[in-house]
Amino acid sequence: MENTKTLQFEKPSFIRRLQGMLGVDFYRLFHTPLFYIFIVIAALIPALVSMGAMGDGETAGMFSNAWQIIAADSPLYIVHDMGEYANMNMVFIFGGIMVSIFIGHDYRSGYVKQLFTTHAKKEDYMISKTIVSAFSMVCMCFTYLIGGMIAGAATGLPFAINAGSLLCAILGKVIMSLGWASLYTFINIIFRRKFGISIALCFVLGTGIPVIGAAALIGNTTALNIFLYGSSVYACLSANFASVLVCLACSVVWAIVYNVLGSVILYRRDVY
Amino acid sequence: MNAIEIRNLTKSFRGMYALDGLNMTVPQGSIYGFIGENGSGKSTTEKCICGHLVPDKGNITLFGKPYTDAGVRVRVGALIENTGCFPSSSVYSNLMMQAINLGLKDRNGEIARVLKIVRMEDNAKLQFKKCSLGMKQRIGIAMALLGDPALLILDEPINGLDTDGMRLMREILVDITKNYGCTVLISSHILGELEKIATHYGIIRQGKMIREIAASEMDNRSQVYVSLKTNDVQAAAELLRRGGCNVRLEEGELRVYDIDDTGRLSAFLLRNGLVPTELRKHKIGLEEYYVSLMSKEAV
Repeated sequence: MENTKTLQFEKPSFIRRLQGMLGVDFYRLFHTPLFYIFIVIAALIPALVSMGAMGDGETAGMFSNAWQIIAADSPLYIVHDMGEYANMNMVFIFGGIMVSIFIGHDYRSGYVKQLFTTHAKKEDYMISKTIVSAFSMVCMCFTYLIGGMIAGAATGLPFAINAGSLLCAILGKVIMSLGWASLYTFINIIFRRKFGISIALCFVLGTGIPVIGAAALIGNTTALNIFLYGSSVYACLSANFASVLVCLACSVVWAIVYNVLGSVILYRRDVY
Repeated sequence: MNAIEIRNLTKSFRGMYALDGLNMTVPQGSIYGFIGENGSGKSTTEKCICGHLVPDKGNITLFGKPYTDAGVRVRVGALIENTGCFPSSSVYSNLMMQAINLGLKDRNGEIARVLKIVRMEDNAKLQFKKCSLGMKQRIGIAMALLGDPALLILDEPINGLDTDGMRLMREILVDITKNYGCTVLISSHILGELEKIATHYGIIRQGKMIREIAASEMDNRSQVYVSLKTNDVQAAAELLRRGGCNVRLEEGELRVYDIDDTGRLSAFLLRNGLVPTELRKHKIGLEEYYVSLMSKEAV
């Protein structure tokens, strides 16, 4: 019965391994309703925000320009009202929830064991999840942008803006998706199946409460740009090319840090 | 070459040793039956091989390479505890994800091939959560078979299967070993089923390998015995003992071990005035071997 044929083991390159892992994650992303639900949610957030702006309550008149639905006028780490806070940064709150559910299902279904059986290199998992999560948040940023423009038009707010600054603000926030995605992936590989905890933690960090709290203590300083929320706020309607570079540096550095830490944890911890 | 070689593998959970210096050798092309009580460390060993658990110490090599080698691991298929399928996705989608993960080129062709092997060609569109237990086990095997695996690790794959399902699983495993050159490591409590297909056995107890044996060697070494009933069992036992036979009185009958010539035995008894009323030849199977080994170890 024994069959001892000669076996050839071809070591897959990093690119080939990553292609495999990315392929699965994108396949899953596009075949799950979760992604489309969050895309729609991202488009609806600005509508809800602008409805508040049109009302008679406390939030009435919180925007003087339609693009303030996308980003604040200046980098305000300390916020005084919803108008200063409610912008495209909210995508990162919902993005965290989506990433938590997405990765949590990997562990709950046990599929992660299939992945780790065939992928000996754990960094493949971290990098792939970060890229796919960042992609989904970028998509959410764009649907938020479309929703924001429609909401701005519906409220009759003026659209006058410096196009370069607007572009830098949007580009900065899009770039920040990478950093946020790596943070959320990192949180999720710590809590794994317990994605309720991951969702709660991602939500708290996504709201920027720790940075807002720090700003209340140390003041409205650009030093806070070292944090993901700080740089996300820095991508505002007065942004320039330097702001984009700040966002890029912050996002990439944190992505590397979280990916390295996440890979180390995956190598050292058992998979359940 | 050996498909799996494990030396001094140790794994503990909060100070409790699940594996305690385990050694294991699985020859290439074999169907290795991995046997042990619940909690003896079978699943822990399999999870260590698959990289799901991080060993405290020890060495694992697969086909002569470290088990962390990406080239070897991409050729390992596993079904441990559950299939790892997404319940809301179809059978086809789940297989497609694994095919993409493995970087297979002809994905649809590969999926069709493995579905045919597990006789699930007509159920590709079925949602995974709507499949029966037997179907889920077969899908798990199909997942593990994608991408021409060199090593298949199956943890209790026949649990919960009906008679037909067990037969089918048996046929599949023999087929992939014979025709695809795959090595199979299979753990099971259903020793009767394992005995029909395994070429090698490993018996584990309290995290230690207590015996590794080839099925052929076990067959050769298996004790044969003759069970007999006579008009005076005690006298027959005494007589045979004096004649140098290994005799035991078990379950109301006399068992004469390591003798298979029933003719000589009955003639000997008759010559000494004892009439054999019942005489049957037996061979000790895997289950008896396992039980006797376990009872010896317990002493």
